[in-house]
Amino acid sequence: MLRNTFLRTLRDQRKSLFWWAFGMVGTSLYLALFYPVIRDNMANYEKILQSMPESVKSIFMANSQASLATADGYINIELFSMVAPILFLVFAIGVGSAAVAGEEEKGTLDLLLANPLSRWRIVVEKFGAMVVGTVGLGFLFWLTLFVGGKAVGMDANFARVAEATVSVVLLALAQGSIALAVGSAFGKRGVATGMASGLAFAFYLLNALAPMVKALKPYRKLSLWYYYIGNDPVMKGLKLSHVGVLVGVILVLLAVALVAFDRRDLSV
Amino acid sequence: MRPVIHTENLTKFYGKQRGVLDLDILVESGEVFGFLGPNGAGKTTTIRVLLDFIRPTRGRAVIFGLDAQEQSTEIRRRIGYLPGELELYEKLSGAELLRYFANLRGGVDWSYVEELAERFDCDLAKHIRSLSRGNKQKIGLIQAFMNKPELLILDEPTSGLDPLMQHEFAHLIGEVKSEGRAVFVSSHIMPEVEHICDHVGIIREGQLVAIEDIETLKGRAIRRLEIHFSSSVPPEPFANLPGVQDVLVADGILRCTVKGSLDAVIKAAAQFEVVNIISQEPSLEEIFLAYYGGGDHAA
Ligand SMILES: Nc1ncnc2c1ncn2[C@@H]1O[C@H](COP(=O)(O)OP(=O)(O)O)[C@@H](O)[C@H]1O
Ligand SMILES: [Mg+2]
Repeated sequence: MLRNTFLRTLRDQRKSLFWWAFGMVGTSLYLALFYPVIRDNMANYEKILQSMPESVKSIFMANSQASLATADGYINIELFSMVAPILFLVFAIGVGSAAVAGEEEKGTLDLLLANPLSRWRIVVEKFGAMVVGTVGLGFLFWLTLFVGGKAVGMDANFARVAEATVSVVLLALAQGSIALAVGSAFGKRGVATGMASGLAFAFYLLNALAPMVKALKPYRKLSLWYYYIGNDPVMKGLKLSHVGVLVGVILVLLAVALVAFDRRDLSV
Repeated sequence: MRPVIHTENLTKFYGKQRGVLDLDILVESGEVFGFLGPNGAGKTTTIRVLLDFIRPTRGRAVIFGLDAQEQSTEIRRRIGYLPGELELYEKLSGAELLRYFANLRGGVDWSYVEELAERFDCDLAKHIRSLSRGNKQKIGLIQAFMNKPELLILDEPTSGLDPLMQHEFAHLIGEVKSEGRAVFVSSHIMPEVEHICDHVGIIREGQLVAIEDIETLKGRAIRRLEIHFSSSVPPEPFANLPGVQDVLVADGILRCTVKGSLDAVIKAAAQFEVVNIISQEPSLEEIFLAYYGGGDHAA
């Protein structure tokens, strides 16, 4: 695990990765096992849900037409409209800000860069560790849902759930790449976390409010959140163009990180 | 002798804050170059430009004939570096950290790492977070030396080392030198490095004020001297000795400053009964003031 910076970074994160995996598995297992309770009381929940004003539904359910009456709808509302994206975003933004800025603030970057590595190599390896960590957690998350769901006889389309998981992982990587790029450009972990989280919140609100607020409507497509859930992946699957936008954003941000980090003075 | 480090008009400003100004430094192979100056003089700034951590505002640095900015990766393959403010990966053990850096360098002779650990009396199995500052410094030194680099760049390496380890360090520097490799070592404490250096460059407020042969500098060293006698002595015998200044005789104690050799004043004192001699090395700052600051001490 000490062959290179990519592996060392994952090794450094192993405790944290373990707890994240624990949390992700716990969350999806809990949701899966809770499903029978909801299913057996469906009529009541449905009533409550339908009585909520449109605006509330829009904000908390990402404007999905889903209903709790189906397993897919249940997963969509309970997991993918809020819980899953928050978990994945917090993880990826944390890892992205720590990638370069974390080492720079701790002061270990000096010694690392005394080795014959180019700066871009370090950014790429750190980015790789972020991708592997996020994708790994995504896989575990889906697997738990699949196994737990099967165990309680949940009648969901798990291929679609996998697509939704891919979508949330891509959103998280895009936000994590914002943190990575800001951290690479300024070397301040707090700034990176702050900017990435602030933008995440703004994207979320923009996507949720745009359908209702006329002035925002034309700007909905500026929100990364839109490309995550705009096509309703649990119900309808991934849309290639939306995946393309997220992947494109990630690659552009990686390029920004490479160039910015390569150009500037490193702080002590 | 080949040039190893060569800087031309090397200048660095942090915004408006002066880092270093127009440095012209030449270090050759087989040479130990001491880079001396008080805190804030610009030593670390210079070193960080050499490693391409920061980019010069003006001028450039050439190492092994390669441009320090354009060909930094190749340069760093051939150097060992110890930062002034050492931070290690706390989650690793000493051995793991050294293994990691060895891997990044494509492997090093591990028996040499073990030899260095032995010489510095350093337990590599321990987790770095549990090490004292001095022991961390040893790990830092080992990683700098372990790939037998052609050039060592050491930023205040002796800080935090006990006297025994400083001795071992000096020994190691001697070996490096005898193998024709070069050392660039900074310090703000002259006595800590003067015995290992061939040349010293003195930097003050970002400017190189002198590059001296170490023997020349020692000849100029000013010492504060205090000689205690068993009874009171007359001032006359000490009045006009060569290199002796600021003479003050009272209560059987002679106080003076001596430039260069102590011979004259010791011989003059020998005619009385001497109880004690206290000799104090001047701080670097005092040397600067005396020689380069235009202070009246220099007269
Ligand atoms: N990152 C920085 N930003 C602004 N000023 C700096 C920075 N680093 C160093 N300086 C300034 O540059 C000067 C030289 O500092 P430095 O090279 O660290 O000195 P030394 O290593 O000799 O103690 C000091 O005046 C210091 O305040
Ligand atoms: Mg310094």
